[in-house]
Amino acid sequence: MKVITREALKTWLDRLAGETALFAPRSVDGIILYRPVTGSSEIVFDYARPKMSAKEVIFPSTDNIVSIEKQGKDVTLAEPPLERKQVIFGLRPCDAHGISVLDAVYIGREPVDASYARRREATTLVGLSCPQMWEGCFCTSMGGAPDDPSHVDVLLTAVVGGYTVNAVTEKGQAIIAGLELRELTGDPPRPTLGETVPVLPTERWPERFTDRYWDLLAERCIGCRVCTYVCPTCRCFDVRDEVAERRTSYARYDRLRCWDACTSPNYRVTAGGHNPRPTKGTRLRNRFFCKFYYMSQDYGATGCVGCGRCIEACPVNIDIVEMLHDVSKASAAVEVTA
Amino acid sequence: MSQSTGQVQEQIRAKAKELLEQRQVQCVIGYEMGSRGQVRPAFIYQADDVDRLVWNQGCTHNLTLYLHDKKKPAKKGEQPPRVAIVVKPCDSRDLNVLLAETQIERERVYVIGVTCEGILKGAGFGKQSEIRNPKSEIQDRCLRCNERVPVVYDVLIGEPPQIDIQDDFADVAKLEAMTPVERVAFWLKQYDRCIRCYACRQVCPGCYCNVCMFERDDSLWVGIATGVKEKEFFHLGRAYHLAARCVECNECERVCPMELPLSLLNRKLAKEVRELFQFRAGVEPVKAPLLTMLAEGEEPLI
Amino acid sequence: MTGNGHDPMRPYLGRLVGTRPLGTDIKLFQIELTEPAGQQHFSYYQPGQFAFVSALGVGEAPFGITSIPSQGLLEFGVAKLGSVTGALHSLEVGEMMGVRGPLGNWFPMDEIKGKNIVVLGGGIGGAPLRPVVNSILEHRNEYGYLTILWAARNPSLLVFTDEYETWQSAPDTELHLTVDRGDEPWKAAGRNEGLITQLLEKVAPSPQNAVTITCGPPIMIHFASLTLKKLGYSLDQMWTTLEARMHCGIGKCGRCNMGEKLVCADGPVFRQDQVAGFLESFL
Repeated sequence: MKVITREALKTWLDRLAGETALFAPRSVDGIILYRPVTGSSEIVFDYARPKMSAKEVIFPSTDNIVSIEKQGKDVTLAEPPLERKQVIFGLRPCDAHGISVLDAVYIGREPVDASYARRREATTLVGLSCPQMWEGCFCTSMGGAPDDPSHVDVLLTAVVGGYTVNAVTEKGQAIIAGLELRELTGDPPRPTLGETVPVLPTERWPERFTDRYWDLLAERCIGCRVCTYVCPTCRCFDVRDEVAERRTSYARYDRLRCWDACTSPNYRVTAGGHNPRPTKGTRLRNRFFCKFYYMSQDYGATGCVGCGRCIEACPVNIDIVEMLHDVSKASAAVEVTA
Repeated sequence: MSQSTGQVQEQIRAKAKELLEQRQVQCVIGYEMGSRGQVRPAFIYQADDVDRLVWNQGCTHNLTLYLHDKKKPAKKGEQPPRVAIVVKPCDSRDLNVLLAETQIERERVYVIGVTCEGILKGAGFGKQSEIRNPKSEIQDRCLRCNERVPVVYDVLIGEPPQIDIQDDFADVAKLEAMTPVERVAFWLKQYDRCIRCYACRQVCPGCYCNVCMFERDDSLWVGIATGVKEKEFFHLGRAYHLAARCVECNECERVCPMELPLSLLNRKLAKEVRELFQFRAGVEPVKAPLLTMLAEGEEPLI
Repeated sequence: MTGNGHDPMRPYLGRLVGTRPLGTDIKLFQIELTEPAGQQHFSYYQPGQFAFVSALGVGEAPFGITSIPSQGLLEFGVAKLGSVTGALHSLEVGEMMGVRGPLGNWFPMDEIKGKNIVVLGGGIGGAPLRPVVNSILEHRNEYGYLTILWAARNPSLLVFTDEYETWQSAPDTELHLTVDRGDEPWKAAGRNEGLITQLLEKVAPSPQNAVTITCGPPIMIHFASLTLKKLGYSLDQMWTTLEARMHCGIGKCGRCNMGEKLVCADGPVFRQDQVAGFLESFL
């Protein structure tokens, strides 16, 4: 295995911070988040999972699609900005998996979303393995692992004295070029695994659609957006033109794309006032079916990476693992009686 | 679990069973044990299920929120359901607010009032937050609470603890000690972390507008961007809309994923309201003085 | 990146070159695209496709394209209902607008050649059906008998009244109108009053070698299909176009799904046997 010392790693990160927009886990008033850092001294190296996923680095919570400039009667649309090269360091494998799921939505299915694609192309993912699975984690049940290199460009795993460096892609090879790495025998330690969660196969989810379970589960839902916003794979958005600047004969409007959530009560309300998802049950059902059925049908990717953030964040203990257990049990019961 | 807590739990279950068996209510809103050692809201419809109900120092949720879901009948032409609800003293004040604002009908709600010894930090969330907040500590809002008996109830369960606490608004004093410049800097730093998830608004029983004025499709009052300016407007606006209506249950602060000190906003305004109007939300089922219309011939205060 | 490098979320600029009222609070908009890329993109589109029309600075919303390419101008029928449509209605001729598209799938105009066609349009739902009728009339001898049933809540909401004469006078074509409630002149002339389903039962076009194309409020689509079934039509003879709140129109924002079907990307045109299999009701 190739190993980098902690000191050499910090030197490298300081260099990256100067050359690119470097994002890494940082403490923001005590909360660990993937945030821009100006140097390695701001980076937290020992953490479980950042409170939010890394999706906001490529899919920001507010994104300017295009600026519309009006000068008198003339209208021009501004050219998109050039994307600065960015690096996400310390990316947990589940969060990298989440980015792959967003890739499947925004790039994998035509038409390609241009601003997402631009930003994605400019981003290099440097992952950091988890030494263990944390409370609420079930990545191994969702096709991942705490040390899964599948979705990153480079994967670091902590060993005594430093980290192993595993360049997985060409982008990864390029970013570690010139780094001082020692060749050591052996392999990095495997992480301690956690619980396994039964996940109903995709094609069996429609059987559960009309269950009363969803209404009962959603009774305690408060209709906030915390689960959606902390999730690495949730990607619904709203589009709105808003005034950015206004003078006598000149105005600039930004066409903004902002995060939205299907759990929000007015999510599907039409201009005429009709709401096809009028109950919390129909909305929560949509959330889970989107993750475990719709997304695989529409984009070939499951909308859950087993990070467990929604479990920690939900104020009323709507526990996705508990739900998966319940759904599997319900389907097994049907099998027995059939 | 102290013996008195166990007894309270048994009495809640017994009352719920009685109400459901006698069809006095269609639903009992209470607390149950969820996954990972968490307490969560429970909706009991069958007398056989009452053993799901629990009472302990993890019962942090303000269940009056769910009365908004029970305002409409299940089917058209039917009456709205009659429900029973378990309330702590702070939650019970929200009952008075909702009654005064004609959001609930007194006859449709059977109030199971429970005396309260205080709720633990970390309640409502799982083990992750235990690391931050050791489970043996009582929440700050309880440490300043002198009302341990609900202000409205149909049955009262539990023995109130013998305490004598004066709320001196020490939490707000820290804020007031800052210069205006420091205070703005403090709040803008907090709002920067906000992700506009609206959990604070959604968990609040006092926020029940069908379309929140800060979330309009036409961005009339504020845009949808997650900029600091927008978030400042939302939080300040919401706090003002709750002035003299907020019962200081602190759920907004508990549910915030970014741990914004939201209660400070509401507490600051609550202090102003106490001083200006000698009024505290929810002590009685009367409208907030800021909402009261002046009768003909009445002069405004200023 | 897409082949032509175009950002599908970026609107093409166009000039509003004409408007005319289609009904109470309903306007027809005629747009001339001003960018070569936009002109190229919209040089060809099919009946049933839609586009996002921008009131630049206010927002954009999806509308069925109501013109056919041979008309030269891009046309949309817009009912004033909310902030975006309100802003569109306030635009003056000569002002710039934005258009994104053409989006979605289309009515199977080739597949239905040689068949008898029954077109059922309710209210503003007539706008996406107008290009179906005009397409058929443009290639009249390639299609069978055409029966058009056109309905609205009242006479002032019947759209494209100025084209009824052309439709009626085409060979092998009949047009029937009905309103829920007529005004004085309507009643005095003894014209049809009642729902489109009642009119449909009265006209009773034969299901033999026929297809139906329905557009209108969801509840109308639902009841029309029940009546068509009564008349002997099978679900695979019934085509419709569905509506859902949309924000991107390109299958990304997740809003318009009905179950796993994305109305913008898998539709908006669907056959009723498909719709019957939807996990989520379209109602």
